[in-house]
Amino acid sequence: MATIRLEVVSPDCGEIFAKDIDMLIVRSTAGELGILPRHARLLTELLPYPIRIKEGASESLVAVGGGFMEVTPELITILADSAELPEMIDVDRAQASRKRAEERIAQYKQAQKDSLIDIHRAEAALARAKARLLVKNIPIN
Amino acid sequence: MANLQNIRRRIRSVKSIQKITNAMDMIARSRFNAARDTLLSNIPYVDKTREILKRIMAQMNASEASSTFVMTRQELIDAQSRTDGKFLFLVIAADKGLAGAYSSNVIKEAHETIEYDGTSPSVSEAEDNENFHQKIFDALKNAGVDGDQLRAQKGIAKAGGRRSTSTANLSVAKEYHDADYIEGIELITVGRKATSHFKQRGYNIIKSYHGISERPNYHYAKEIADLIVERFLTGEIIDVTMIYTRFNSAISCTPDDVTLLPIITDDYAASVGAKEEYIYEPDVVSVLNDFLPRRIATRIYGAMLHSAAAELSSRMNAMSNATDNAQELVGKLNLYYNKVRQAGITNEINEIVGGANALE
Repeated sequence: MATIRLEVVSPDCGEIFAKDIDMLIVRSTAGELGILPRHARLLTELLPYPIRIKEGASESLVAVGGGFMEVTPELITILADSAELPEMIDVDRAQASRKRAEERIAQYKQAQKDSLIDIHRAEAALARAKARLLVKNIPIN
Repeated sequence: MANLQNIRRRIRSVKSIQKITNAMDMIARSRFNAARDTLLSNIPYVDKTREILKRIMAQMNASEASSTFVMTRQELIDAQSRTDGKFLFLVIAADKGLAGAYSSNVIKEAHETIEYDGTSPSVSEAEDNENFHQKIFDALKNAGVDGDQLRAQKGIAKAGGRRSTSTANLSVAKEYHDADYIEGIELITVGRKATSHFKQRGYNIIKSYHGISERPNYHYAKEIADLIVERFLTGEIIDVTMIYTRFNSAISCTPDDVTLLPIITDDYAASVGAKEEYIYEPDVVSVLNDFLPRRIATRIYGAMLHSAAAELSSRMNAMSNATDNAQELVGKLNLYYNKVRQAGITNEINEIVGGANALE
């Protein structure tokens, strides 16, 4: 069966993942996308969410903290703002940053809307933390 | 006869200078290692972003280039009547000196790029060349009717004309007293060296960043990119070029120019045969309007990392050379000191012997 090459790069850690895979499932701004080999050319923005990589029978997850994905028939390139393999994730840190972001969002909702809290940043941080926890198979509710 | 005490003093001062240069060398070395690691882990990201940009632009039809950042050469020429036609340059140099020729090299390159007036031949068109400023300049120059040229271009042409007739130096903007030349060129500088250099020469610096050259932060790159995009969208700026130092290896760093905006599809279209159109999710305009500013910030951040590594490696080389030279100088001075001392002793013995002989 044909395979497609997947390359995931991030600004801080370089190339995180580079392998021939069978299928990739991502969450883009326009919804969930499944990419199979010989997909049409595509460019889209990704949300902070784990990407699912299928190789044969096994499936692995990589935490992606938002970014862009470009698809060509033979190559998928993900330009991630941040990206971590499961073994690179520090669960305690992710839990802590999730808690911090949640507190900040709660404060924002209580306080006036013009408070100093950067709501977009807090929401993005929360989404990133959740993506990391999902990769570690930790329920996030 | 040289004074022994003076020589001793000189040796001591050279030795203490050597200690300082040696310490600076070690500091630069440890910072350099950190800077190189950051750079190396960033390079794949920047390269991939560029490859993607290339592929997208190669496939893009002129008609669907609906993003404000992307245009065909014809559109660029048409746009000049609607803009003020200024050029914006981003120069990245060092905050501190003592890094050999690092800052002066990048500033020299900046002058060459800024003062390009179409009379000298264009640079080689290498495959990976990202400098389109000269092409853009030429295109606009050839299209422009007299008196209908861009402001910056008019200024540069005037200045260039005066260069051949007077002895004035083109790189000193204020010598020209020409509003088009001064106002038509805007600069953003990173690093005190670049700021003071261009300020002294009367250039129009719209923003400068200090204290970030050695340890760049993405946050600043984003800020610069936002500023550039904002200026570009107001229509005042027609071309944005960045000049930085590319870090090839610890012994080879070369100044490099990168045109950030606008993105001219003609430059990319030639490189591919058949077109295969891209699907954009959700739609072409919103994806490109997110992707392209991001690409600019990424490129600036990458350039800052390159510059930081280049600066530190230049400083490392300069300081280790200085330490070696000091060592050599101390050796020479020691030899001289001993010669003088021996000459003194010989002299004294001669005097004593001479005195004793005279008494006999």
